[in-house]
Amino acid sequence: MENLYILVPIVFPFIIAFMVLLRSFDTRVLRNIMVVTLVLCNFFLVLLLGKFQGQELFLMSFNENINLFLKVDKFAIFFATMASFLWSIATVYSTKYMEHEGREKAFFFFYMTTLGITMGIALSGSLFTLYMFYELLTLSTYPLVIHSRTDAALSSGIKYLVYSFIGATFIITGMILLYQYTNTLDFSPMGIFGENLSADIEKKKLMAIYVLLFLGFGVKAALAPFHAWLPNAMVAPTPVSALLHAVAVVKSGIFGLVRISYFIFTPVLISVIEADVFINILIGITILMGSILALHHDNLKKRLAYSTISQLGYIILGISLLNHNAFIGGMLHLINHAFIKIVLFFCAGSIYLASGKTKISEIRGIGRKMPVTMICFAIASFSLVGIPPTNGFVSKWYLALGGLEGNKLLFVIILLISAFLTAAYLLPIVVTAFLPAKEMDHNLEEFKDVKESPFPMIYSIVLLTIIVLILGIFPNPIISFIDEIASNIIWR
Amino acid sequence: MGINSFPLLMILISYILGFLGILFYKNNISRAISTITSIILVILSGFLLKYTISNGEFIYNAGHYTAPWGIELLIGNTEAVFAFLFSIIFFIVNWYSFDSLKKEIEYKRIKIYYFLTNILIGSLLGVIFTNDIFNSYVFIEIGTLASCGIIVIKNKRDNFLATLKYLVLSSLGSGLFLMGIAFLFSITGNLNMSAIHREVMNNHNTYTQVILVSTALFTIGLGIKSALFPVHTWLPDGHSSAPTTSSALLSGLVIKAFFYLYVKIIYRTLGVELLEVQYIFKVLLVLGSLGMIMGSILAITQSELKRTIAYSTIAQMGYVFFGMGLGNKIGLVFAYYHIIAHALAKSILFLSAGAIVNENGNKYINRVNGIGKRLPIELFAFTLASLSMVGIPMLPGFVSKWNLASEAAKTNSYFLVAIVLISGLLNAFYYFPIVVRAFFMDSEKEKSDTKPLFNINRALPIILLSIGLVYVGINSEKIINIFLSGF
Amino acid sequence: MGNIMNNYVETGAIILFGIGFGIMLINNNLIRKIIGMNIMDTSIFLFFIAKGYMPNKEAPLILDEYKGVDAYINPIPTSLMLTGIVVAISMTAFLLALTLKIYQEYGTIELDEIIKLKGESHGHK
Repeated sequence: MENLYILVPIVFPFIIAFMVLLRSFDTRVLRNIMVVTLVLCNFFLVLLLGKFQGQELFLMSFNENINLFLKVDKFAIFFATMASFLWSIATVYSTKYMEHEGREKAFFFFYMTTLGITMGIALSGSLFTLYMFYELLTLSTYPLVIHSRTDAALSSGIKYLVYSFIGATFIITGMILLYQYTNTLDFSPMGIFGENLSADIEKKKLMAIYVLLFLGFGVKAALAPFHAWLPNAMVAPTPVSALLHAVAVVKSGIFGLVRISYFIFTPVLISVIEADVFINILIGITILMGSILALHHDNLKKRLAYSTISQLGYIILGISLLNHNAFIGGMLHLINHAFIKIVLFFCAGSIYLASGKTKISEIRGIGRKMPVTMICFAIASFSLVGIPPTNGFVSKWYLALGGLEGNKLLFVIILLISAFLTAAYLLPIVVTAFLPAKEMDHNLEEFKDVKESPFPMIYSIVLLTIIVLILGIFPNPIISFIDEIASNIIWR
Repeated sequence: MGINSFPLLMILISYILGFLGILFYKNNISRAISTITSIILVILSGFLLKYTISNGEFIYNAGHYTAPWGIELLIGNTEAVFAFLFSIIFFIVNWYSFDSLKKEIEYKRIKIYYFLTNILIGSLLGVIFTNDIFNSYVFIEIGTLASCGIIVIKNKRDNFLATLKYLVLSSLGSGLFLMGIAFLFSITGNLNMSAIHREVMNNHNTYTQVILVSTALFTIGLGIKSALFPVHTWLPDGHSSAPTTSSALLSGLVIKAFFYLYVKIIYRTLGVELLEVQYIFKVLLVLGSLGMIMGSILAITQSELKRTIAYSTIAQMGYVFFGMGLGNKIGLVFAYYHIIAHALAKSILFLSAGAIVNENGNKYINRVNGIGKRLPIELFAFTLASLSMVGIPMLPGFVSKWNLASEAAKTNSYFLVAIVLISGLLNAFYYFPIVVRAFFMDSEKEKSDTKPLFNINRALPIILLSIGLVYVGINSEKIINIFLSGF
Repeated sequence: MGNIMNNYVETGAIILFGIGFGIMLINNNLIRKIIGMNIMDTSIFLFFIAKGYMPNKEAPLILDEYKGVDAYINPIPTSLMLTGIVVAISMTAFLLALTLKIYQEYGTIELDEIIKLKGESHGHK
């Protein structure tokens, strides 16, 4: 019964959530301190999971072959640690930010339940369990998306729900068809088809299953043509956009993609059934389209959202190239992008909170008033472009290596073009923020009262930026960790 | 008086106590009598269920006359489970009616309502237990009259018309059903279901056409009563205009009992071994699929809350017919499971919708904005039930969606898999807007009355049903095994 | 064709059933619908009772002496139809009562007019 501990990181956030909901606190500060402390506790609880590696916790049985159970493996620890760490920082940020958004009680309630569900996704031991948490994720994030309750928020909320449920329907279809083949849905590093797979496998059917599952999880990972919900969902408050749409929700989609590509199917099987061909086309489109559309948008958060779509394309590419280096690159980029994008979003949120500006054309010269914020923004931008020695460079390097290893030269070219485009849509923001044109001097008048953001917000931005820098200079511990995961699931 | 006589006892108790209740002048007494009936039914059916699970099915001869002369009651696992389910829902709905009825129907009619529900539950149990085809006809008719009664008891214009529609179509259905009995009687000379089956097996080669015709008659006749897709037209009017508790009983129980009778006729009376009967499965599959899709689409277009839920019943009965139409026992068992799932979920939906309509004084969906703040418990249950309908994992709706779709996948008909899943998706399109309106949109009214209203006779029954719903979802394997071991 | 002539009672019953069914579905007038329903029910009774009839046999009443099982017709369908008639009568009574109520509410028993009235009243809301 010691394994019951595995449940703790999932249940604990729910306890926090209900505490926030049911207890009335004397002051806001008291509540904020409690929430932050408890979320940090949860992070440490997740760290303790390392001791339980390889252990399982049976929850309940659905039928004789399908069980709901949790399992701790390296990949789960990887994802859970990243998510819970970013969650704690984002909570610190949102304690201050959410003051002006209102409905804090509801916000923290759903924020915390989402954390619990994300942990559930990380620790799922079977596709079925993963699917259950995945559906719950949609439900718990929906109230966050429509937090402002404006018409724009409600309509993008509906879009979010529709896309998510369509994705879920794809997944369940794929699962049902898969189950007819394998009679099990438990994840295994060796794939679940095992020896049953005869020489004359039904290629097309398996391909259909794989593509269905891939597209299903791809909806959350903003894979084209199912990306449209992500820019729309940017009407949510900044901590929500930052965490959910750059980290938790989209990365859960990615997590699911890794699980189906390496723990249900295997790289060998996927290349035999030639399912990666379709997927790769979509990924190429996603990367380029995201970058190009990002150029068109003047709204800062929207631009960042499209940039997310493009960067997610990199990560998915790392998964679908099906080789060792590409996988390392993809997973590294998963972490790097999470940290970078959260910094960018937090900066955007700080700018909005300080000046009320959401458009890039309106923020000229703001760098002089908010130097720390904008320097962090600049560092994050450089990282995302992939200029050495930042962390973005490392992950893109591995991705390019993977592309070369798989003889997919086209993708290396796409990566280069997209890096160029990334520079084209991010760096002008930095430049305009610091070097205002002369005719825009009246902006300085407007920004007269603009100050750096209050303590919790600026603290979390700076902390994250430092981590981004550290990740760029010392990527090796993480690379070796990912390397261990990769060598377990990819045999050359 | 052993446990064997419980089935007959249950039927008799509901009738006798029903008639007893109407003799008293005061509403409270008849209400108490009806509640006592429901509690007795729950206890008896609980024992019955326990008994059949450990001892298997048994036959009880009413009046101790044996088969060809007397009426048999045959109780297996399935019957016991349904009896238990029906009793529990009857009890909970009865409890809910303590307060809601006063708001919805005239004071002097309340005791008539309780009388009618007693008659209704008695005849539904009769339909489930009986092994005699003519006896089932009598129970059907009593049940139909009683259910018409609990619709029309709300003395409103819409109710008269809805009841008329229901009664006319129902009597058409009964007519066809009786005609089917006549055909079967003419070739077998028996009315006992098992005996008819024996005779049919002996001479089906001689009478293929008669069997075909009577199968068709039973299908249409009982299809009308259990809301099979193209002949469902009476249902939305009836179920949406009836008082809240009547809607819950009608949607949750009545159509299910008629469906089970249909299963008994196809499986136990005619026998699925017959080629002529097997045609019907294809028809059911097509009609079930159509019902699943069209019911949901029609539900999306509705503007009244209870009407939407009523149309959703058609879609959900589509699942049930679909499961039967798969043509094997596994599919049928999943259909049974869906009956339980739907009975619980639909009762919750109707009861909480009734609370919403009563609080708002308005039956339209676009007026439910912000009601979640005033009726948190009811709306939470409503959300839970809609999540089950949509198919969120481990709620019963998901279990039957998964099971039906994978059973369809086993027959390599991917089109059917798609239909099941699309129908689940369509459910989301009419349930979520209601939930979103209720919880996340602000009401147009003054914000002064946003204090949560708590009414114990309204909240507790709904909570009980919600617990039941979750329990059924989590223990789906157990329940399905009970059904499977009954075969 | 010969079959139909031999089973003329059944044939008649089915024709009656069709007539009743048609009246019930086609007519807008509620009273006619009810009459249609009754014709339909009666046709079923006829059909059923015909199943129990055997040529050259007596009604199952023992007047002077018991003549053995073979001498009488089958009484079961007849007795079943007693129940059927009771059911049909209660249905009819219920339907008539409803029709009365509808007439009081809407002032007409033509279904198409009622539906028109209903649509108007909805429009006013």
